[in-house]
Amino acid sequence: MTEIVLETTGLTKYYGGRLAVDHLDLKVPRGCICGFLGRNGAGKTTVIKMLLGLLEPTAGSARLLGCDAAALTPSVRQRIGYVTEGHRLFRWMHIGRLEAFQKAFYPKQWDGRFFADMIEYFGLSTKQKIKDLSNGQRAQVSLALALAPNPELLIMDDPTLGLDAAIRRQFLEGMIELITRQGRTVLFSSHILGDVERVADRLVVIDKGVLRADCSLEQFRTSIRKVVVHFEHAAPAEVGLEGVVHCRRGEKQLELTLVGTGDAEIAAYAGQAAATRYDFVEINLEDQFIEFTAPPNHRRLFQWEEK
Amino acid sequence: MRFLALVRKELRECLPWLLLAGLLLLVAGAWMLRYEAEYVQEKLAQPPRLAPGSAVIHAYRLTRPHLLGGPAKWLCVLAPGLGLALGIRHFWMPLYTRTWSFLLHRSVSRLTILLAKCAAAVAAFVVSLGVVWTVLYWYARRPDVFVIPASARELVVGWIYIALGLVVYLATALSALSTARWYTTRIFGLLLAGLATIIVLSQWNLGRVAVLLVLTLLVLASQTVAAFLDREF
Repeated sequence: MTEIVLETTGLTKYYGGRLAVDHLDLKVPRGCICGFLGRNGAGKTTVIKMLLGLLEPTAGSARLLGCDAAALTPSVRQRIGYVTEGHRLFRWMHIGRLEAFQKAFYPKQWDGRFFADMIEYFGLSTKQKIKDLSNGQRAQVSLALALAPNPELLIMDDPTLGLDAAIRRQFLEGMIELITRQGRTVLFSSHILGDVERVADRLVVIDKGVLRADCSLEQFRTSIRKVVVHFEHAAPAEVGLEGVVHCRRGEKQLELTLVGTGDAEIAAYAGQAAATRYDFVEINLEDQFIEFTAPPNHRRLFQWEEK
Repeated sequence: MRFLALVRKELRECLPWLLLAGLLLLVAGAWMLRYEAEYVQEKLAQPPRLAPGSAVIHAYRLTRPHLLGGPAKWLCVLAPGLGLALGIRHFWMPLYTRTWSFLLHRSVSRLTILLAKCAAAVAAFVVSLGVVWTVLYWYARRPDVFVIPASARELVVGWIYIALGLVVYLATALSALSTARWYTTRIFGLLLAGLATIIVLSQWNLGRVAVLLVLTLLVLASQTVAAFLDREF
């Protein structure tokens, strides 16, 4: 049986009267690289902070490595690496001092050789001060600090935010370094679909605090499809088809984004609606994500284009 | 080891303030004591100017109870000032630099993190103001400096001002940790510290002052612990 290292049950968070996370049920098995996707304000950081006991859930619970997230013991925290959003580190410290500080909390686990190798790989020096580093370099130091204790579970909050393509690639390669160590589990939130596609084998998508998908990357890819249905006259007002998450209406065509709708169902609908033909459109992961999380009343920004 | 790492980090963060306060007290105190010593020697060297037939000798010619009065005025400003600076550095700044998340994920309890901050603050007060004040007192007790040495009470008064600095430190911490509005409970700690300062400065009975300070420190410490353990970051 697969061991679950991260589990949430009905996890809910209100900020005052505003619902930020709505009954999130999530399970992340051991050894999984889980991409945690959501738009800005979807609730990703709130979920991560609740997982690490930095925020208290309004309802529900979370467990990490078998321990209640609201009461993580120091020994469990030792087994969890955390890369904070924006890579906020102590600006006055230089890398060497920060390493010494971090090392004090992992007396047996700290892999000094690995840390030195990573710092060298990223082209940094332990004498450099954090305040003198660029955003990308701070991200690299954060990653090295989180990986050197060899954590069982690594949680990263938007680690590649604000990094340029080259630095992002280096950062992801650092992550892959961890992945190659067996049995490690990673949960990382991101907006950048390319990053997720590169390293993740599982996707969790939340939108406005609601869990929209929790599946393998492959399953996500095959489940979301876009089909353009053509009609001889005006397109019908109602779309009688299961799984439509997004519909864009043209004069004589419907552009439908479908989730989990089979070929037979699409063919049946085309027959019923007297469509002249239908075509599948290739979409990449980024488009799939955008279409999937677009609000139901989504309107195109540039309405004039359609005139 | 973990606790020491935390204390070292907190101490290092407040090092500039600690050095500044200590240096100011040392320079101002030494200058004032030297001036005071010269003044006393000068007074004692003068022949007594007694009214003809009078047998009264003014008491001030025999004792000078406030040799450290001048430096004490500096201390009663520097100690709360240092308390405010350390409170801001330890509890307000991480809110703006957003380093709480990193710090709180260390493999120690939240209480240990808070205790490390408080231990660093106490060490800062002792090292900068406490040691300097004790050195000034030791200087004022040297027979070659003052014929009539400073009393032990002056040493205690200085340490009371230093404890007042700790009150201000905890009050600042409490205000930083509170998520309430300023015009409600958030200002409670600072108001209490202000009240304690007024009472301490106007009260001459050291026993009562000590009791008041201990009670104020207990109230503020318990509130700070509760606020820190429950706060969301």
